[in-house]
This record gives sequence, structure tokens and C-alpha cells, in this order.
Amino acid sequence: MPKDRKIIPTILSAAIFIIMEVAALNMLANNNAIQRLWFAQAAHRFMAKAWGASEEIKYYFSLKKQNEMLAAENFFLNEKLRFYSERLTEKAQSSLQLPESGNEGGFEYQNASIVKISNNKQHNYIIIDKGSEDGITTRSGILTSQGVVGIIDAVSKHYSYALSFRNADVSISARLGQEGAVGPLIWDGHSTNGAILKEIPLQYKFQPGDTVWTSGYSSIFPPDIPLGVTGDSRIVNGATNEIKVTLFQDFTALRFVTVVNNRNLEDIEELEAHE
Amino acid sequence: MNKSFTLIFLLLLAGQLLISNYFHVTPYLLLTMLPTMILCIPSRYSTTVALFVAFATGFAVDFLTEGLAGLNISALVPVAFCRKWIIRLVFGEDLFSRGDDFSIKRYGLGKVAMAILLATSLFLFIYIAADGAGIRPLWFNTLRFFGSLIISFLLSLCVADLLTPDDRK
Repeated sequence: MPKDRKIIPTILSAAIFIIMEVAALNMLANNNAIQRLWFAQAAHRFMAKAWGASEEIKYYFSLKKQNEMLAAENFFLNEKLRFYSERLTEKAQSSLQLPESGNEGGFEYQNASIVKISNNKQHNYIIIDKGSEDGITTRSGILTSQGVVGIIDAVSKHYSYALSFRNADVSISARLGQEGAVGPLIWDGHSTNGAILKEIPLQYKFQPGDTVWTSGYSSIFPPDIPLGVTGDSRIVNGATNEIKVTLFQDFTALRFVTVVNNRNLEDIEELEAHE
Repeated sequence: MNKSFTLIFLLLLAGQLLISNYFHVTPYLLLTMLPTMILCIPSRYSTTVALFVAFATGFAVDFLTEGLAGLNISALVPVAFCRKWIIRLVFGEDLFSRGDDFSIKRYGLGKVAMAILLATSLFLFIYIAADGAGIRPLWFNTLRFFGSLIISFLLSLCVADLLTPDDRK
């Protein structure tokens, strides 16, 4: 109670002070041209700063929307790029009269946002904001322009659960260089951007810094997506090379991804089952 | 308010009007006792009362002298608003809890001088800034501030001695 009693007179006296001071300054400005100009300049300076600050704050809070717009635009441009590169490949194949590859042209893409991601475990996972109602199925791939991110493992109506590439159980088929040897690429198990390319026959020569691409043999990911660059290597059992790969993808800064779905996956799996 | 305080206050106001009208030795000096007069309003009176007294006093000086209309009010009203904070800062909370007023005899010259310096500095800072209106150079305003502070402070010590309760008995 005593505090309340003190607050009301303080607010009252502050209000009276502001009214009196404004009245005095108004009197000063109205009766003297120089003071009027001074107040006007000061008011303009203040307004400029206030507007500038509010614009900056507005800009900061609109970044999320801008990011979403950029991601959508990026997705659209990637779609176009894929469309034209597929056309170019088809044209090249028909001119060389090569048989048509089974997977090329059979992929559907759609963009998604990451809702949750784990990065500090041995079995990391990702949850995205698209589900079965959006046409997502299990064994769809998740990628970005920087590389492969994960594989969808379970799907609900509006969300999908994926195994991150940084998961000890995930292995993807990768190619060393554009036309080099193919082997499984797995996460090295500890670093944020490290992977190991295994089972590369010794006869295949490579240099540290060579690019590693998706092979297209997995039926989950399309071919020729850049994944990372090679580093040191070691010979295993005297028969194959095991190569360290530095991934392009930064898993700690992931937000927008592309889900890739192989339209021919069922047919391929059916054929595999018959064998 | 105490009758003798009111009478002395009005006499001092008349003195300030005379100073403002006739004491123009140099533009570097501004002689004022208004902030000390507001500071010496008995502590039992609230900030709101002090604000009204300051507004009326500043209004009288502005319209009865040759200065700029609104200049004294705009500088004196903040002194009234900060009066209790200045007293609390220099003399402590006890002064208010005892319902006491400060005086040179009771609290010593040092503390009273400090309170006068704070109140006069606040007044002069606003007065000189508004009077200069961004036209006067900084060195001029600084020189005017310190020159006026010294001369006004000396005059204000006498004013405080006149207005403080112990001396009115």
C-alpha cells in the first residue's frame, strides 16, 4: 500500500512536468524564430533516427519471411535446372544412341522446411513439415544444393521422420569424380562435416580435393549431386581404398531442404524382389 | 507555505527581475538565483507544488524581463522536478522522514553548496543550450556555463541562507 501511495503522486508529478515543459518549449519556439528552427532540426534528427531504427527492426523480423521466399525461389530455380539438365542428357544420349538410363527423369522434387533436427547423437534424425498428404513416401531422399541430407524413414499425415546422413545406419552410393569408381559413403561418426568413402578399388587414381558425387545407383537419390571433396586415404586389407571426404553440407545451419521421390521406386523394388 | 518564506521568495523574485533587466555586464555571465529559490521550497511541499511555483516564477521572469519567452520556465521546471532527488542525493532520506528542511547551520556549507551546484548546473545547462539554439559555438556555451555557475553559486549561497528555516526563526 505505501508503495502504491507513492507511485500515483510520482506519475502525476511526472505528467505535470511533461505538460509544463512542453508548454514552455512551445512558448519558446513560437516566440523566437531561431529556437523554432533549432527545435525543428532536433525533431527532424530524432524522427530520422527513430524511423531508421524502426525500419531496421522491421527488416530484422521480416528475415524469416524473406528466407522462406528465397528458399521457394531457390527450389523453383533448381527444378528448372534439373529439367534442362535432364533434357540435355537425354539429347546427348539420343545423339550417341545410348540406352536410356532407368532412373533419370524419374524423380519428383518438392521443397520442405526442417521442423526438428538432432546433430549430437550417433543416430541423428530430421523431422520435416511435409507428410503423406503432400505426397511424401518412405525411402524418399532429402537433399539440398550442397548435398545429401537424409532418407525418409516414416511418414505421418503432415510430417515425415528421416534418418540424417549423420546417422551410423545410413549409407549412400557415391562416385569418385564424374566417371570414377563407386562405393558406399558413410558418416565418419564424429565430425560435423566428415564422411568416409569406402571400397574404392586400388586401381582408381584420385587426388585430394577431387569432388565426390551421388552415383545414382541407389534409386533414392538422382545422380551427379555434389557431396564433398576427397582428403586423406588409407588402404584397407590391401584391396581397397578408404577415403576421407569433407562434405559441402553444413548440418548445423540446415533450414530448407528438397525432398526427392523416385517415381519408379516401386517398379525397381518389385524387380529386386523377383530376383 | 510559511508567510515569511513566501515574502522572502517574492522579494527575491523582484530582485531577480531587477538583475535580469539591468545586470548585463557581459554575454558570458548569467546571474540567477531561481534554481536555489526552487530548491529551498520546504520539503513538506510535494513536487507538484514545486512544479507550479517554478512555472509561475519562470513565467513572471520571462514576461517581465527582456529575455526570450519560455526560456526561464523551460529551465526552471526541470529543477523543480528534480528537487527532491537532489535533496535526497545530498542530504539523504532522513531529511524527508523527519519532515525536516535543510539549512547551512544544520547540514553544513559543503552539503548545501553541493545541492546548489547541482540545481544551478541543471538550470544553466538547459538555459544556455536553449538560448544558444545550436548557433553559439561550444566554447562560448562552456565558458558561459562555468562563468555563470561561479557567480550564480556565490549569490545562491546568500539566497539559501535567507530562505532556509533556521534563519527565518
